[in-house]
Amino acid sequence: MQAEQKIVAQLVKKFAFLQERIFVQRQKRIFTLPLVKEEFEQVLPYLHAELGFAKASLVVGTDDGDDLGFIYILSNREGIILALKEKTPKSDPRIKTVTDLFPALALHERELVNLFGAVVEGLPGDSSFPLPDGWPEGSYPMRKDWNPQYFDQETMTYNPPSQEVEKEGGNE
Amino acid sequence: MKPKKGNNRIVIPIGPQHPSLKEPGCFRITLEGEKVVHAEIDIGYNHRGLEKACESRNYIQTLYLIERVCGICSHTHSTAFCQGIEELAGLSIPPRAAYIRVIVSELERLHSHLLWLGVAGHEIGFDTLFMYSWRDREKVLDVLAEVCGNRVNYGINTIGGVRRDLDESMQQNIAKVIAFLEDQLKYYLDLALTDPTLSARLAGIGKLSREDALKYGAVGPVARAAGIMEDIRIIEPYAAYIEVPVKPVTDTRADVLGRTVVRIQEMLESLEIIGYCLKNLPGGELTVKAPRRIPAGEVISRTEAPRGENIHFIRANGTDILDRVRVRAPTEANWHGMKHMLEGEYLADVPITIAAIDPCYSCADRAIVINSERKTEMMDWQGLREYSIDWYKKRGLDLSAVKMPERKIYI
Repeated sequence: MQAEQKIVAQLVKKFAFLQERIFVQRQKRIFTLPLVKEEFEQVLPYLHAELGFAKASLVVGTDDGDDLGFIYILSNREGIILALKEKTPKSDPRIKTVTDLFPALALHERELVNLFGAVVEGLPGDSSFPLPDGWPEGSYPMRKDWNPQYFDQETMTYNPPSQEVEKEGGNE
Repeated sequence: MKPKKGNNRIVIPIGPQHPSLKEPGCFRITLEGEKVVHAEIDIGYNHRGLEKACESRNYIQTLYLIERVCGICSHTHSTAFCQGIEELAGLSIPPRAAYIRVIVSELERLHSHLLWLGVAGHEIGFDTLFMYSWRDREKVLDVLAEVCGNRVNYGINTIGGVRRDLDESMQQNIAKVIAFLEDQLKYYLDLALTDPTLSARLAGIGKLSREDALKYGAVGPVARAAGIMEDIRIIEPYAAYIEVPVKPVTDTRADVLGRTVVRIQEMLESLEIIGYCLKNLPGGELTVKAPRRIPAGEVISRTEAPRGENIHFIRANGTDILDRVRVRAPTEANWHGMKHMLEGEYLADVPITIAAIDPCYSCADRAIVINSERKTEMMDWQGLREYSIDWYKKRGLDLSAVKMPERKIYI
C-alpha cells in the first residue's frame, strides 16, 4: 500500500484542505470525503496532470439528502483507483463539466443531468440520455424522493400525492 | 435520407431498430460520397431504471436483478456484485466456490466471444464462419445449462459463494468441450491470420490507436488490440484468478482484425484456464453464511467481462437494502471511441466497425426484466417445457401439439 500512501501524502501536501479528508480504503483504492465545487476544481486537474490519473471510468451520482453527490472514479496506469467526491446543494446543483480533461465522461455527465437534475456547466450538446424524449421536466428519477409508483407511463407524467390532492380539491 | 443544402453531404440514420445487431441504438452517419465525415451516437433505448429498482429490494433480490443487466455476460455482473457485497461484509468465499466462479466466467467468455465471431462473420458476408462458430457456441451453452441449469442468466452466484457444485460428470463434459474447441479455435486463428478475404475485409478498418484508446477510455479486447495490456484478471486478480495463471493477450494492429485475433487468442487462453481449474479444483464447502444486513460502507468492485472491465460501485447503509449501486458495463466505456472509429470509414464498413466493439446495448443502458415469482424450485428441461406450454395456454396459445425431439447434450 506504499504507492497509495504516497499519493495521499502528495495530495495532502499540495492541498491542505484534504487533511483527514482522504484515505486509503484498501490496496488500490483511495477515497476522499465530499469536496465543495471550488476544492474539487483544484484537485481534479492536478490528479490528471501531475499524478497520472488520466483515466476516468465513471461518475456516480448520489442523493445525499440536502446535497447531490458526485463520485468521480479515476485510475492511473498502476491500476490504483481514486474515488474523488464532490457535493453541491440541491438548491443550486451546479457543477462544471470535466469533459475537457476526460472526454469519456460525456455520457455519464448527461446522465447526471437527466437522472439527478444536476446542472453541468459547459457540457456540450443537449440531447436527453438515458431518459426518453418527452420525459416530464423537473422529474429526476434517481433522487430518493422520486417514487416510480407515481409515474404514469401512458401519459408520461409524474403525479406525486400532494399534487393529486390539490387537483381533487380544485375539481370540487 | 436528408441531403443538406450547399454541399454533397447526406445524413443517414442507422437504427434505432437493428443497427447491425439486433439491439436498439441509433447512429446518424453523415456521408460525403461513400466516406463517413461525421457520426453521432444515440443510445439509451434500453434504459429501464434497474439501479432505481435495486434501491427498493433486498440484497438477494438485487443480485437477481443485477444478473439481468446483460443476457450474454450475466455471470460477470453477478460476480462483481457478490464480491463487492462480500468485501463490505468481510466474507471470504470458500476456495471451491472461487474456482467454480472462474470456470463459469471463462465458459461465459467462450460463448460470448464465439457469438461475436459469428456475428462478425455475418456482418462481412462470411456466413459459413457464422454457422461454424455458433455451432461451437452451442456446445458451450450445453455445458453451461448442465452446470447452472440455464443457458444464460446462470444464477450460480450467491453472496458468500456459489449455489451449485460441479460433479464428476459435469467436469468430464466440460473437459470434452474444451478438447473439441481447442482444435476449432486454432483453425479460426489460422483463418484470421492467413485468409486473404478476412484480412482484406477487416485489416485497417475501425482504427483506434493506442493513444486514442487511452484518451477515450476503451476497455477489453478493443484496448488490448491497441497494445494496452489491461485485464482485470491480471492487474487486480479476484476469485480464483489470484491462483490461476492468466497469460495476457494483446495485439498492435488496433483495427477490427486485431480485435478478432485478440478474441480468438483469449478463447484459447480461456481453455487453458478452465483446464487448470478442473485439474486443481479444491474440495470443500460452496458457501459461507452471509448476513442479511450488510454493514454501511462503499466499495468499488471490478471484474473482467468478455467485453472488458466491468465496474460496480455499491454503497450500503447498514440495512438489508442497498443505498446506491452503479453498474459501469464495458460497452459503456467503449462507446466513446466509436465516433472516432467511424469517422473516415466507408459506409460499407460501418456495420462491422460497430459490431467490432461487441456492443451490448442492454449492458450500457442497464435493462431490467422482472419476474416476481416467490417460489424456488429446480426444473428439468421437461418441466421447463411443460411450464412454458402452460404459460402460453393461459394467454390463449396452445402449443402442446408441438413435438420436440428428446434433448441430449451435443458433445
